[in-house]
Amino acid sequence: MASNAETWLLENGNLKCLSKEMRHGVRTAHNMSSSSLRKKSEIALVSKVPYRFVRDFLANLQEVILGTKLSVLFLAIPFAIAAQCNHFGRPWVFALSLLGLTPLAERVSFLTEQIAMYTGPTVGGLLNATCGNATELIIAILALVQHKVDVVKYSLLGSVLSNLLLVLGTSLFCGGLANVTKEQKFDRKQSDVNSMLLLLGLLCHLLPLMLKYSRNSSDVFALETTVVSLSRVSCILMLIAYLAYLVFQLWTHRQFFEAQEDEDEDGDGIAEEKPVIGFWSGFAWLAGMTGVIALLSEYVVATIEAASDTWGLSVSFISLILLPIVGNAAEHAGAIIFAFKNKLDISLGVALGSASQISMFVVPLTVIVAWIIGINMDLDFNLLETGSLALSIIITAFALQDGTSHYMKGLVLLLCYVVIGACFFVSRSPLNQDPANVVDLGMKSSAHGILRV
Amino acid sequence: MASMQEQNWDLESGDCIQKETSSSSQTPSSSILSSSFLRRRPNQERPPVGMFKQFLNNLRLVFLGTKLCVLIPAIPLAILGQCYGFMTRWIFALSLLGLAPLAERMSFLTEQIAYFTGPTVGGLLNATCGNATELILALFALRERKILVLKYSLLGSVLSNLLLVLGSSLFLGGLANLKMEQTFDRKQADVNSLLLLLGLLCHVLPLIFGNSVEPQLLDDMDQNSVVWLSRTSGILMLVAYGAYLFFQLRTHRQFFEAEGEDEDELSENEAVIGFWSAFIWLVAMTIIVAILSEYVVGTIEAASDSWKISVSFISLILLPIVGNAAEHAGSVIFALKNKLDITLGVALGSATQISMFVVPVSVIVAWTMGIPMDLDFGLLETSCLGFSIILTAFTLQDGNSHYIKGVVLCLSYAVIAACFFFHKMPASESLYQR
Repeated sequence: MASNAETWLLENGNLKCLSKEMRHGVRTAHNMSSSSLRKKSEIALVSKVPYRFVRDFLANLQEVILGTKLSVLFLAIPFAIAAQCNHFGRPWVFALSLLGLTPLAERVSFLTEQIAMYTGPTVGGLLNATCGNATELIIAILALVQHKVDVVKYSLLGSVLSNLLLVLGTSLFCGGLANVTKEQKFDRKQSDVNSMLLLLGLLCHLLPLMLKYSRNSSDVFALETTVVSLSRVSCILMLIAYLAYLVFQLWTHRQFFEAQEDEDEDGDGIAEEKPVIGFWSGFAWLAGMTGVIALLSEYVVATIEAASDTWGLSVSFISLILLPIVGNAAEHAGAIIFAFKNKLDISLGVALGSASQISMFVVPLTVIVAWIIGINMDLDFNLLETGSLALSIIITAFALQDGTSHYMKGLVLLLCYVVIGACFFVSRSPLNQDPANVVDLGMKSSAHGILRV
Repeated sequence: MASMQEQNWDLESGDCIQKETSSSSQTPSSSILSSSFLRRRPNQERPPVGMFKQFLNNLRLVFLGTKLCVLIPAIPLAILGQCYGFMTRWIFALSLLGLAPLAERMSFLTEQIAYFTGPTVGGLLNATCGNATELILALFALRERKILVLKYSLLGSVLSNLLLVLGSSLFLGGLANLKMEQTFDRKQADVNSLLLLLGLLCHVLPLIFGNSVEPQLLDDMDQNSVVWLSRTSGILMLVAYGAYLFFQLRTHRQFFEAEGEDEDELSENEAVIGFWSAFIWLVAMTIIVAILSEYVVGTIEAASDSWKISVSFISLILLPIVGNAAEHAGSVIFALKNKLDITLGVALGSATQISMFVVPVSVIVAWTMGIPMDLDFGLLETSCLGFSIILTAFTLQDGNSHYIKGVVLCLSYAVIAACFFFHKMPASESLYQR
């Protein structure tokens, strides 16, 4: 890191140099990516209000609610709640809730960043690591409570696939096109660590799957208990790995993950140093927004079958493709913007970091919550999904291993995502909702003929 | 290296002995180096008087020369147990414990003999005897027709070398050297990964071949084809291993030389026991290893029943951990000193040796005995093997290391161990089939 790091205010483009000692916030890739969607707050409007308390409150409100370009989608939230209460068509509730989730995810990340400025870099990093994928976590747990284990599995898998292929692919593609004449480099150490963690996660999914296929006989119940026990132990090991990764990222090897700062770039730089809202108000907003996310997620999970029937799409397609695209929209946009500016380390940090987080933190956490509730959720995500996951991880690891990038890499990753999406679009696997038996029998019988052991 | 004055360091005492060598000096290979740390300092003085004292000295060097010698009493106990009918699980446990120091002593003796025969033959000896314990265990399992134990123990050795030994070394080495950058030469790792991938192909093809046909259509012809495919693959794997030995010991030695420079360096240039006495000791130890292996293979089901662990878990996890204990400890110590090239040489070299030498030799010995052993190790096992090779190759491809790499490798091993811990074979499947 340069000893004389210069930072710029994002919104108004004024050059304002801050010395390194004043930077106490954590500039993780995640935070920086969503800061690209912020708007400049207009103090002028609010200053006309006479009372100071009301003025502060309105400024706060404006900062939080209107502080993003996605704020127009906030209107969907009251409509969704109204639709649910007045029993409009369930597909409408689904669509409106989905739209409402997009800005909420971005605001939660903004609030996390604001709070992180008060608590220091390490706790900030931890907060970001936990809350970064809050939307996916909440959707997963709510679906679990409603015993829709397949929706959980598909949505989490879809998040990983979307981060690895869609977000990364579009970033590399657009960044490559915008910087055709320049050489695009990034530090491969960060992507190596993430790829290794993803491979460990893949192993934990692969083994329960192989266990189910390596038996041609016998006792389905004994097999179930074996697979579930193995999944639970694997999840504990995955959480240990994630913990080690956090120690590595936030403490011992921070230099691998520090966001690049380019001195000769003028114009849009990184977010300002001072937080714009107070600590407690940030905390209160965060709690409030999490509550609204939980509400909307509950609507989404409850109405997903109705939407699937009405629109003619399989539930697996909706949970695998649509939900993650919506949940990741803000990060996605941020990653593309930074790729345009040839700051690939940040794009990679966002995409790969998010994928690792879901694979090594949200998935094991979900299995452990299921264990506590008493639901037998295992890590067997079925042959087709696990195969897609494996190929995505291998393709991404291979694409990123030489430390340079061009638009072909992005195009290939993107097309892989389209192929996987097409595959799930045309496959209509029956969804087994029986809480006692989570084996997806539809998939198993079709695959049984291919691999007999 | 010819006619240069070299400084040799006595391992145990750290003294510097100046030696002038006119011939190319013998650079010890990694696996020899790794077990040297377990040696205790030999008493250099040779008493001038009497064969008896020399014999006692010899005895002391061989038996007491290692920190693992405390486990040696397990050997006579195991033999006693077999003769007097102790409970079988005790015989199993004692035999296992007795194998650990024997493996280390055999590697010491191989190194001593290598001083007399020169570097190339020494390297060959090490290549053959380095995993003698696994080889003898495999042959005994074959003799008693326990093909499953054989397959699992060989697979477990490869997995243990690739994931456990390498993972714990990289992890502990990374923790000990947090501030330093840890690099290694990736050429050696690449060659080993290539050979392991070839071995993986030879396992995957019989597996898919046997499973791509509907079960009711599978006839003897196809079964035979799988066995013949495995035998041919075995011969090809031995050809590859021969080429690898040629590469390692003759044409590209510089990839594999252990960096022996300044500090605490490796074994002295002089053997501490004579050629013939080392040879006799080696033969004797091989016989004892054979006896103990026979006990292990004979009592494995009884131990599995009384300890309530599946035979697959015991052969896959417990046997290799014991057999590799000395090499494991050596790798960790060298990683702590930031000499990753040696660590990699030990772990990867051992994995390659088992995969490309011990496995094909078992298949060919089975051929001569008329047993239809094939290279199909089962879907679950082969996928674990494939995954481990890919993960390790990916980990080592950038030439530097940090502790997270070790964490991921160790946790992968733990997941695979957990899988086989929970995976109990149904009673209908016996050890004698497949």
